[in-house]
Amino acid sequence: MHSQAMHFHARAAEKVRNPILQKALQKAKPLFVGKRAKGIAGLADDGLDFEHLRSTAENIRNRVLADLDVWLDIFETRARATGAEVLWARDGDEVARLVVDIAQRHGVTKAAKSKSMLSEEAQLNEALAAVGIRPVETDLGEYIVQLAGEAPSHIIAPAVHKTIAEIETLFAAAHGRPAQPRTSADIPAMTQEARAVLRQHFLSAEMGISGANFLIAETGSAALVTNEGNGRMVTTLPRVHVVVTGIEKIVPTLDDFSTLMRLLPRSATGQTISNYVSLLTGTRRPGDLDGPEKTIFILVDNGRAGLLGSEWQDMLRCIRCGACMNHCPVYFSLGGHAYGWVYPGPMGSVLTPLYTGIENALDLPHASTGCNQCGVVCPVRIPLPKLMHGLRETQIERGLRPWRERLALRAWAWVAGKPAIYRWLTRRAVRYLRWLADDSGRIRIFGLAPGWTDGRDLAAGSGKTFHELYAARKRA
Amino acid sequence: MRIALYVTCLIDLMRPGVGFAALRLLEAAGADVVVPPAQTCCGQPAWSAGDRRTARQLAEKSIAELEAYDRVVIPSGSCTDQLRNVYPQLFADDARWGARASALAGRTFELTEYLARFAPELPLPDAVGGHVTYHDSCKGLRGLGIKQQPRTLLARVKGLQLTEMADCEECCGFGGAFSVNFGDVSTRIVDRKCESIAAVGADAVVGGDLGCLLNIEGRLRRRGDESTRVLHIAEVLAGGGES
Repeated sequence: MHSQAMHFHARAAEKVRNPILQKALQKAKPLFVGKRAKGIAGLADDGLDFEHLRSTAENIRNRVLADLDVWLDIFETRARATGAEVLWARDGDEVARLVVDIAQRHGVTKAAKSKSMLSEEAQLNEALAAVGIRPVETDLGEYIVQLAGEAPSHIIAPAVHKTIAEIETLFAAAHGRPAQPRTSADIPAMTQEARAVLRQHFLSAEMGISGANFLIAETGSAALVTNEGNGRMVTTLPRVHVVVTGIEKIVPTLDDFSTLMRLLPRSATGQTISNYVSLLTGTRRPGDLDGPEKTIFILVDNGRAGLLGSEWQDMLRCIRCGACMNHCPVYFSLGGHAYGWVYPGPMGSVLTPLYTGIENALDLPHASTGCNQCGVVCPVRIPLPKLMHGLRETQIERGLRPWRERLALRAWAWVAGKPAIYRWLTRRAVRYLRWLADDSGRIRIFGLAPGWTDGRDLAAGSGKTFHELYAARKRA
Repeated sequence: MRIALYVTCLIDLMRPGVGFAALRLLEAAGADVVVPPAQTCCGQPAWSAGDRRTARQLAEKSIAELEAYDRVVIPSGSCTDQLRNVYPQLFADDARWGARASALAGRTFELTEYLARFAPELPLPDAVGGHVTYHDSCKGLRGLGIKQQPRTLLARVKGLQLTEMADCEECCGFGGAFSVNFGDVSTRIVDRKCESIAAVGADAVVGGDLGCLLNIEGRLRRRGDESTRVLHIAEVLAGGGES
């Protein structure tokens, strides 16, 4: 996906003014927040403590990242031993080349896909379509956004930005039937309709493409966490299965995997466990009723290795639960598309600049109120506000901020360092504010900070500073 | 016991009454309160912008003028967070300043935190608010763990009724420069806060950070709500914000 992150401001302005989007977001937010809260509270019923579990999960991920090369090596050896092939891709283009090459070698005309954000990084659907291979998204949300010709707007709920009415229009057109009025009571029927269409694709696709939530080093397996069952179809019915995933997704053992699984579904959807948890190991063996004849792992760097050992390494702990965006006031004001690249919300505001260039996503680290609602829910304790802050510092160190902003900050800091001048200036500033105010003491348009008064009044104060009133009181 | 009242730049400029209310409360709590005369700004805007060097300069200034006092009290969660949590980070690579920053951090308190801990018996005047709801500011709540203190204090104000609003821990969308640089996003966020406040139907919304309060008040008024008062907790506890 080509990054549009540099257009964040303009896209954000458009999104806050889109009533249909706002309606969809308004509806989704309490569901996400409420379900997670219930899921986390439920840990106690199993005698588990969230903070203790978080520490364990954080340690598992840190242990992997400390020796990632070794764990990848172990994974590769074990995966090969099960009959799978393991390939490596430096970037998204290489992923696309490898997948296209595999597809062409195996005479593939249609590829069924289960959800994979990495395939978005690699623009895989576009690459396949360009050589005449049809990629079919089979996750319901992904299917919807593919019909709409859009990108996912959320990492676990790709079509969260769509209303039922919009989806009905898409289905009617794609499934060749007249559109009907729909309510949430029709969701099961609409889902059935999509299932019927997708079933034909599962049966006819020669290749299945999936991601992996985790790679288990000790068994050489891919772990897939899904709710719709489409992941099982994609990974067992077609004769070739390609797993495309990031090199950071390794966990050492099945035991570690089970620890992380206590946190992932609860943090994402509030479920104690997702409807389907698949461990995919090797290829179809003699006597197996199903399974691919060929399993190929493509392990992707695309910027990840560059974060190892850097001040950004913590970000690689991410297990893609989406809790950070589900609790982000900015995300729920805009939806995911405003962020301009694959990953939205707080994790996207860190990953997009790191993976696509800090200079190409200058707004994202600043598109946060610093509220830390993301930091307190992250199941692997990624200090997201701290990482966004670090990116702000890096922007300044590299001279990437606008000179007006720099100058204003320097001038203000110089004055703040000289109390006598500061007092003199602030006395004048508050009188100026008072002068700008109307009869009710409010400023409706403030030229120095128009972003404030576009949506808010500014109470102008009394025209005197605390310090001058305090000095007068002491003299009296 | 000499206590420094750090007024914050926003209170100095926009609502001095909050500073005087804090002063009255601390004096009533029996403290020998001084307003250090050279204070300007803790440097949080520079820090938030990513300008570590400038943030450090202003931190050095604040540390030098505040470290002589036994305790520092600030009627703001976000400025307290700056002194307590950020200053030590700023000097992580400087042993001398780092030690001074940590020493100051350990003696710095947000106003409600201070009152609840050191003046639990402080007599409080009758309510100015009547029926109120409380907004938890992000830095106070998630940076300093302030949740119970303001509620404990408000519960002791005679005639005051507190009703919690939905999502009281949710950010109001202020975020300092964020509210100006991303004004439309900020407005969208504060709209949700205004809806939660309206749903409670309180006479006043109370909070501990003037930035959030200016944001909430500004949006309430622009939406046409002329009646819901927006009060700093110091004003409520001191029986008003007059100087």
